Amino acid sequence: MGKSIAPADRKGVLLLSRPVGDKCRHITIELDEVTPPPAPGQFYMIREWGVFDPLLGRPLASVASDGRRLEFLFQVIGRGTSRLASLSSGAALELRGPCGKGFPESSGKKLLLVAGTLGIVPFLGPATTLRGMADVTTVLGVPGKGWEPFVEWCKERIPGIRLNSDDGLLGRRGDPVEDSLALAEPEHEVWGCGPEAMLREMGRVYEKGCKRVYISMERRMGCGVGGCLSCSIATASGMKRVCADGPVFDWRDVFGEDHGI
Amino acid sequence: MVRTMEFSLRTKVGGVNLETPIIIASGVWPMDPDLWPEGSLEGVGAICSKGLTLAPRLGNPGCRIMETYSGVLNSIGLQNFGVKRFLAEELPALGDAGKPVIVNVAFETLEDLANALAELKTVAASITALELNVSCPNVSRGGMTWGIQSDTLSSAITVAREAWDGALWVKLSPQVPSVAQFSRICQASGAEAVVMGNTWLGMAIDNERERPFFDNVFAGLSGPAVFPLALRAVWEAAGAVDIPVIGCGGVSRPQDALSMILAGAVAVEVGTALFVDSLLPASICRLLKQHLLRRELSSVRQLVGKARNKMKVNGVNHC
Repeated sequence: MGKSIAPADRKGVLLLSRPVGDKCRHITIELDEVTPPPAPGQFYMIREWGVFDPLLGRPLASVASDGRRLEFLFQVIGRGTSRLASLSSGAALELRGPCGKGFPESSGKKLLLVAGTLGIVPFLGPATTLRGMADVTTVLGVPGKGWEPFVEWCKERIPGIRLNSDDGLLGRRGDPVEDSLALAEPEHEVWGCGPEAMLREMGRVYEKGCKRVYISMERRMGCGVGGCLSCSIATASGMKRVCADGPVFDWRDVFGEDHGI
Repeated sequence: MVRTMEFSLRTKVGGVNLETPIIIASGVWPMDPDLWPEGSLEGVGAICSKGLTLAPRLGNPGCRIMETYSGVLNSIGLQNFGVKRFLAEELPALGDAGKPVIVNVAFETLEDLANALAELKTVAASITALELNVSCPNVSRGGMTWGIQSDTLSSAITVAREAWDGALWVKLSPQVPSVAQFSRICQASGAEAVVMGNTWLGMAIDNERERPFFDNVFAGLSGPAVFPLALRAVWEAAGAVDIPVIGCGGVSRPQDALSMILAGAVAVEVGTALFVDSLLPASICRLLKQHLLRRELSSVRQLVGKARNKMKVNGVNHC
């Protein structure tokens, strides 16, 4: 997997916060110092500065970063993301990161990126910055009705993105894994991020001759740096921490067989 | 005239000297130093290992963590690689950090305990103290079940005392039937310090699925929500024994650590707070020095139990 650099706890200020439809939020945070930009797939634990309720940071991958300013897109789901979405410009935030190990070095490769709704987030960087340095095809799946603003937001940033929706309203009717199977060639390195059922299904690309399939896993997290073991998963090489040993794993390590708990 | 004063944060836990009274609690900190956030060792007096058992443990299935109001429920279940891998990989890595290492040991049977300690004894010089874990609420066998009955607590400490020549601390559950009585059992059985305490037993229901949130049903509650409960337990323990008490539970702000010391703790463990503030140990040390300056004191040891003295009237301790 990609290299990891030691995370740090830093203070940041919320610069911009905009809704993306009624489900998602796009925020820009300025850190108090310049940091190494995160690799695709790495994430930050983000929370309101100095607040004990909600207590834990929320693991969010950035959609763009220049080392000082970080942009995030997230779905508003529970107490933590609702709180983050409600903050106004100028709010003080804490960011721990960049956490975890991201996707492998990607320049010069032929990449097939498969995303389920917010699973697009770690691919927004590579899908744009790798243009000209790699052959990148991005496939997105969404439920359909109600996700139009999110889809427009993605289309603006990833020209040529292939769309799929369950109801056929946005792009072709179907799921992104089926679509990616129609595109997959043996030279493709395949990256996936989205619901776990989708990631499991991605194993079918091996039948297309693809040899390298990497997926970004999600689990509830506590510390984000491999300490609490809240996010452990069973893999072919033993128990692994999604936050520190991942979140990006080789598909075969996670889904190749039943590994126990 | 500007006065310059030297402030000492050095503390003593039985025979163990620590540069500061702040200990990273068991179960919250990665055992691989390359994952430690920048600056997080500043102010740390010792690092406690994750709960270690003789044989490797996979930990609990299902969801393992849930945020509560100002707190966290966890059901990790003592996932660890076992003593052999700990000795080969984790202990040397922890030792390289240059901080005293406290090893937290959990067990299912007394035989397991004796065997684990026999292995650890081979590297006793690398271990500053042993923290006997008789308080983990997240395992079906062992853990807290050893620590909430007086006879099993006593027998576990006795076995540990016979098997381990070095410093022996006992991490009690705050839910022992009597904090004072069980702290005294620790002292009488040969412990050199009482760590008060571990997480609080709680639970959550997944209303959508209409079932307990955790596969193990119950889980351990920690974080700022439990601090007042933990502080009370530290107060009671410190009033019951002559051996040192180490406070642990919900310390989330520098002021919390000071409160625990004033209540009678010679050192303070920080746990869940490190999930969100890895620089807390340094912040605590700054506050302690400021407090010493304001009170014109020179050593943190002068603060230990100071709040207790205020409650003594006519020689009678009203608490």
